[in-house]
Amino acid sequence: MKRTLLALIVSAWSLLATADSELQVENAWVREAPPSAHMMAAYMTLKNPGSSDTVLTQVDSPAFDHVMLHKSEVVDGVARMTHQDDIRIPAQGSVELKPGSFHLMMPTPEKRLVEGDRVDFILTFSNGETIRLQADVRKKP
Amino acid sequence: MRNSIRRQGPLSLWRIIPLLLAAVLLAACGRPEPPQLSQGTLLPSAKPVTDFQLTDHHGQPFSLENLKDNWTFTFFGYTHCPDVCPTSMTMLGQVQRKLEQQEGLDKLPQVVFVSVDPERDTTELLSQFVPYFHPDFIGASGDEQNTLKLTRQLGILYGKAEGSAADNYLVDHSAAIILLDPDGAFRAIFGVPHDPELIANDFLAIKNYYEATQ
Repeated sequence: MKRTLLALIVSAWSLLATADSELQVENAWVREAPPSAHMMAAYMTLKNPGSSDTVLTQVDSPAFDHVMLHKSEVVDGVARMTHQDDIRIPAQGSVELKPGSFHLMMPTPEKRLVEGDRVDFILTFSNGETIRLQADVRKKP
Repeated sequence: MRNSIRRQGPLSLWRIIPLLLAAVLLAACGRPEPPQLSQGTLLPSAKPVTDFQLTDHHGQPFSLENLKDNWTFTFFGYTHCPDVCPTSMTMLGQVQRKLEQQEGLDKLPQVVFVSVDPERDTTELLSQFVPYFHPDFIGASGDEQNTLKLTRQLGILYGKAEGSAADNYLVDHSAAIILLDPDGAFRAIFGVPHDPELIANDFLAIKNYYEATQ
């Protein structure tokens, strides 16, 4: 009985979370990498028109062994990249994953990805919600 | 005869003075002013670089000698870098393609990617990484001592990021692009953010200034 009640509460919460979320992902792309590159990067814009912050906690992709959340920044002229545990998208705001800033970092797959290929990603948020999307591989600065 | 000589004396002087003034004015006006740059910073005086020994991505020696008689853009990065380095190298490819379209430019600058991760950046890795951004680009790497020999002269900083594992690490590195003149001297620095149009224009202005002052 307790288990059933718990399951009901959990599914009700999930429904509520899904209904409340209006998160949008735009312009997702993966940068085509040189043949010998060991790492690749992906970018996108995360928009949160909702009334509460949303936190991106994990990204998975069948194309890559694993996907890391990273941020590049230049401090006093020195470029450094730091691992991010999560990326917060503020309520009624957006976060742009872009070159020189937040990005996804992935070890290069065995089969080289080139411009025109499409890559699947699954984004997981702290509320348990997931978003599936496809990103184009592009040659861009 | 004597009279005519006497007359010519003072007249010649009056003729010479304006000529001398004109010559002085011309010399003053002809001395070029350093160009106003949009993106780069020109060093007040070029800083000569002492020799260093690297290896290019063809396995050939790359030293100070290779900087002579060429303008050289250098960027310092590593091939495991997925974000900042490809962005800067793609941008340098755009600079080069803009300069290729520039009429009257007798010789294009060379672009050299110097590895700040010589442990992992083998000649083979560089040979696939660097020409991807432009077929004429040069990749170079060397031992720690020679890499530092060059970076220290150009004010470039680099080092493994804190918390890096021995076999899986990130490298912090200066993001600037350095311009060396055909004497192999450090002439200008371009900090971030980089704009290919502005860098190409600044390069042409620096080159014109250099040639006018030789």
